[in-house]
Amino acid sequence: MRTTVSRPVRRRAGLIISALAGAGLLASCAGPPQPEGSGSPAGTDGDAYPVTIENCGRQVTVEQPPEKAVTLNQGATEVVLALGLEDRLAGTAYLDGRVAEQWQEAYQSVPVLAKEYPSKEEFLAAEPDFAYASYGSAFEAKNVGTRTELVAQGTPTYVSPFGCPKEQHRPEVSFRSAWNEIEDVARIFGVPDRGKDVVREQEQELEDVRAESAGEGIDVLWYDSKTKSPFVGAGGGGPQLILDAVGATNVFGGMEDEGWATVSWEKVVAADPDVIVLADASWSSAREKIDHLEKDPVLSELTAVQEERYVTVPFAASTPGVRLVEGSRTVAEQLAELEDLDSK
Amino acid sequence: MRSAPAVGLLAVATLLAASVHALASGPVSIPAQDVLAAVARRMHIGDHDVTVLTDRIVWQLRMPRVVGAVSVGASLALSGAVLQSLTRNDLADPYLLGISGGGGVGAVAVIVLGFPVAGIVGTAALAIGAFVGALVALALVLGLSTTREGDLPPARTVLAGVAVGLACSSAVSFMVTVLGDRDTANQVLHWTLGSVAGVRWSSAVFLVVVAAVGVAVLLACARTLDAFAFGENTARSLGVRVERIRWALLVLTALITACAVAYAGLIGFVGLVIPHVVRLLVGPSHGGLLPLSAILGAIALVGADTLSRTLVDGREIPLGVVTGLVGAPIFAVLLHRERRRSG
Repeated sequence: MRTTVSRPVRRRAGLIISALAGAGLLASCAGPPQPEGSGSPAGTDGDAYPVTIENCGRQVTVEQPPEKAVTLNQGATEVVLALGLEDRLAGTAYLDGRVAEQWQEAYQSVPVLAKEYPSKEEFLAAEPDFAYASYGSAFEAKNVGTRTELVAQGTPTYVSPFGCPKEQHRPEVSFRSAWNEIEDVARIFGVPDRGKDVVREQEQELEDVRAESAGEGIDVLWYDSKTKSPFVGAGGGGPQLILDAVGATNVFGGMEDEGWATVSWEKVVAADPDVIVLADASWSSAREKIDHLEKDPVLSELTAVQEERYVTVPFAASTPGVRLVEGSRTVAEQLAELEDLDSK
Repeated sequence: MRSAPAVGLLAVATLLAASVHALASGPVSIPAQDVLAAVARRMHIGDHDVTVLTDRIVWQLRMPRVVGAVSVGASLALSGAVLQSLTRNDLADPYLLGISGGGGVGAVAVIVLGFPVAGIVGTAALAIGAFVGALVALALVLGLSTTREGDLPPARTVLAGVAVGLACSSAVSFMVTVLGDRDTANQVLHWTLGSVAGVRWSSAVFLVVVAAVGVAVLLACARTLDAFAFGENTARSLGVRVERIRWALLVLTALITACAVAYAGLIGFVGLVIPHVVRLLVGPSHGGLLPLSAILGAIALVGADTLSRTLVDGREIPLGVVTGLVGAPIFAVLLHRERRRSG
């Protein structure tokens, strides 16, 4: 009698064999490709790695000097450019205004990923090995991804301490805090000496500005944006640091808990400032603000408006960061010019 | 029910007191007698010595704001009362016919696209943009809801208003997220929350004229609106040309509201809540309801403006936030009383 394997048994056997074959295939599937190992770039201290830094309450560990970093927000981009590290950048994104003149050429040599935050795909396409942003919001799930996600993908991240999501992790607003950030970033990239040089230069420049004291005895309104109720520089942020450095008095300096505040024109009219400093940003240009001041029936009677005593500062140079000293210098220069005009 | 004239007198007195208080309040403290002196001098009553600073602050900054607040408050409350009667819907507010949506689209378009409206700068361009936007939305709503016979059925009008409002808010969201830059959302938010801080004398005069015309015309229609309260058929049998009057009144209130929105942004609750408060005080007869709504609306907005300037030291809170914070609990209380009475 012919023995045949019955159909149900054959079907079961077939299933088992296919399952085993499938499992075998899956097991032999390659995992994600390993990143190519790279030697330390020229000029970096390879022995210093891995570098570990505390940032916004978490430990950031960088195993190797970043070669393809991505910077998000103008502050972060400019810190890296100030350290002369444009050749280690794979992309930049999200400016507030023009990058400072001295770094324009370097900036143009790096691809711009997006006008604002890049999408996750655009970000991944740059194959970043490090990401640096000024604001914690860059690393949200709907933007480029959370910091935990990115670390798991092999991209350590760093957020400017001023932009940490939780207030307890933010440093006090001062030049020193901005310089600490520059030094931290320099360490991450393996060029700590360059960081120290940049800071030393800025310290010297700030000393010169302080010594000149171009703003002594001058009452200043720091006008940032908005028209119905102005958004002004208050007593606890970048604007106050600049005004302190040049020796001027901030009309709203008494509001010490915040960097900027929405106030009333009444107080401005009552204080009648000698000079109005205008923050120049792409969303609120100095020209727009001057137009508003000159066309308003009450504000056009302010002394500073009648005599056109305006000082213009790029917005990026008015927030605590690598351009704050430059901001102080340009304010001091313009104040000195106005004084010269007066005494003529 | 209290008598309308008595309440009216009290209301006017309160309005005057609130206005003087508003003039005397602000981030810069100015003693009351200086405030009154500055006002009297400008109105050529007697001889007063007033510093330039006091004059500037009291007469050129605060006075237009108070005048603006009075006009806008009166316009919104009056429009709300009329619309509630016309549509026989207790939840109707002045923004019913897509005015808030259209005004928002117009204002955001100016903010985002930076429309230079024939060389006019800043606040004027914003006002014009908001007004034009409101008119376009109004035209859309009227177009959608007018029947072939030229009638405006209330239910259909409300629905058309909702539809246009939804379309407008998506348009605003689109413009803010896709076309705007970092600060756009903030600016739009501030405009949306409403403020009379930008009102100077030129705009204040405009707002007063609009409010005055509105009050005069709508008061004249008080009897007609009373007829509406009894239903269309009763009104018709009383000789009221229901369709024409409804059209005319809807358009008029929409125009008044559009003017208010143009300069003050979107101020909620005043148009919705005030008419109910007045009805509780003096009953539903329009002879009392309309003028008292206007006066109480003015008081509400002047008070809200004062609060917005003085609640937090040195800072200005948007008007819409204050009216919401105060108006919402009042509305809740009203609903509660309504529930207890009817059930």
